[in-house]
Amino acid sequence: MFLLRLAARNVFRRRGRTLIISSILVLAVAMFILFESLMVGMMDVSFRNVIDFEIPHIEIARKDYFTESEKSHTLPIGKRFIPEDRLISDVQKLKGYQAMTGILEFSADFISGRYEFPVRVRAVDPDTFNDVFMNSQYIVAGTFLDGNGPGVVIGSRLAEFFDLDVGEYFVMRFTDIGGSFNTIEGEVTGIVTTPHPDINLTTVFVNREHAAPRIGVEDLAVTQLMVRLEDRELASSQSNALMDTLGGNPLQARSYREGADFLVSLEQWGYLETYFLLALFLLVGAIGIISAVVLSAIEREKEIGMMKAMGMGESSILRLFMLEAGGIGVVGGALGCLIGAVIIFFFNTYGFDMDIFMDFSEIGVPVSGRIYGPWNFDAFLLIFVIVVIVSIIASILPALWAARKNPIDAIEKR
Amino acid sequence: MSLLTLEHVDKTYGQGDLQVHALNGVDLTISKGEFTTVFGPSGSGKTTLLNLIGALDRPTSGSVVFLDKPIGSMNRHEQAAHRRFHVGFIFQSYNLIPVLTAYENVEFALKITGIRDSKKIHSQVTDMLDHVGLSELMHRRPNQLSGGQKQRVAVARALVKHPKLVLADEPTANLDSKTSKEVIEVMLRMNRELHTTFIFSTHDPMVMEYARRMVEIRDGNISQDTER
Repeated sequence: MFLLRLAARNVFRRRGRTLIISSILVLAVAMFILFESLMVGMMDVSFRNVIDFEIPHIEIARKDYFTESEKSHTLPIGKRFIPEDRLISDVQKLKGYQAMTGILEFSADFISGRYEFPVRVRAVDPDTFNDVFMNSQYIVAGTFLDGNGPGVVIGSRLAEFFDLDVGEYFVMRFTDIGGSFNTIEGEVTGIVTTPHPDINLTTVFVNREHAAPRIGVEDLAVTQLMVRLEDRELASSQSNALMDTLGGNPLQARSYREGADFLVSLEQWGYLETYFLLALFLLVGAIGIISAVVLSAIEREKEIGMMKAMGMGESSILRLFMLEAGGIGVVGGALGCLIGAVIIFFFNTYGFDMDIFMDFSEIGVPVSGRIYGPWNFDAFLLIFVIVVIVSIIASILPALWAARKNPIDAIEKR
Repeated sequence: MSLLTLEHVDKTYGQGDLQVHALNGVDLTISKGEFTTVFGPSGSGKTTLLNLIGALDRPTSGSVVFLDKPIGSMNRHEQAAHRRFHVGFIFQSYNLIPVLTAYENVEFALKITGIRDSKKIHSQVTDMLDHVGLSELMHRRPNQLSGGQKQRVAVARALVKHPKLVLADEPTANLDSKTSKEVIEVMLRMNRELHTTFIFSTHDPMVMEYARRMVEIRDGNISQDTER
């Protein structure tokens, strides 16, 4: 206790130095809290956008559909299936089940005027599709697929690209199941602007009943059966549970995380990058701590000599300097957490416009607009503990150097 | 009764042509309760002698025995333990810890001996500060005390653990004559009241007058040893 009191007073003995060293730690802590929250916020929005607009909690398709769609740029319409009653019943029994919809997905070239653009066409049943996906809520012009007419809904960026508006004509050219070119023609009936950039640029929605005969597939055929659950936390476990029931079936169920494996990798890279930045800041902080302890030991050489002359053990002197370094870590960590909390408060309340930095869709991140940084108190605790531990560890060698000083040399400051 | 015995003690610093013989075959016996001064010109070996007696250093040859224990051959941890419990130090430049109050500086000496009983610590510290006449100023930090007051805190710090021996290396060198007299009188009073053995080095003839035994060192040898 006495050592702790002495260490605490020594920390504030050179306020300027403590402040300078602490400020590096403050920067490390605040930056980590900000980046961590930014990462979590961005990944949360990205996954939510994937779930709400692209792949819901569980996606069921033929195993060879997944394999081929990953290998080829062209979606394999041939790898379709007709959902059996037993499969539908099994899906409905999943924990947290909310809704399901079948879609036929195929590749096409969207043509208007002199231009054409490769798109992913999602032939959907509007009624069930709207129970699983949120696209219809983001309609900015026209309506989202009524009845079974030939109209399509396109994303706003695709509409901008072709300078198309609701009611204007388009042609979609694709290869049907027999290998022949075929087209779907009609009017644009709706335009959506979703938070998922890919949907806005490369996805076209069409009625499945209208598309199926033109592609040459069965009326009930789908390429994927999309399932929405109550909670994304259930996705992996329920996907695995479904896989168990599918057994030797050629179908495969996978969660949105497996479907968005690029995002999962990006998430891991993001965390890696955050921790790398943290390590850099901490390295600078550790060098600061080392120099602070060395300077302190040089300045207090006579004091160390006196303590040793009085019989204070080397381990006690070592502890004293380590406690002082830990104290600087506590000051830096606490101030960093405080500043981090202020940043997160604003970030959490007002959000952060990602579009001012770059178009994240260009690097495959399904996020646009404003993101909000969540509070993650574990991150605060983690970084605080890390900073204090790093400060203490950084002080060991210089503290040992101070503790082993010859008392006579130290008293005479030789 | 003998407290400390030095027999044929040599201390040499450096090697080869740069060797300096600080002490040459010193024999000295100190009894319990002595109030002894070690004096001599600068570089004569006074501080080296005090360092060896205080187990801060080891002799090159010869033996230093403290209450039948050969302290000259102890390792640094044993030497530290010996100093912690048996030796009090008073330094020329006080060497008080600036961030601690007078009370805490004295308390520090007790804390490092491992005493945990706070009542006992409080009573010993206040008693000792009272003895040196600083009970009114115990909550002041060193920068709020005069040189004489600081040295009295250092005396209290050296004595609070009731060591068998107190070593003072030129304790009045930084003080004016009036304050020097006050400090040396405090040390003498402590010697009488607590029967603590004091050995101090000095250049000041006025301070020497207080010593009951005077040991003169010249060129690393004891040239004169007078009891009064």
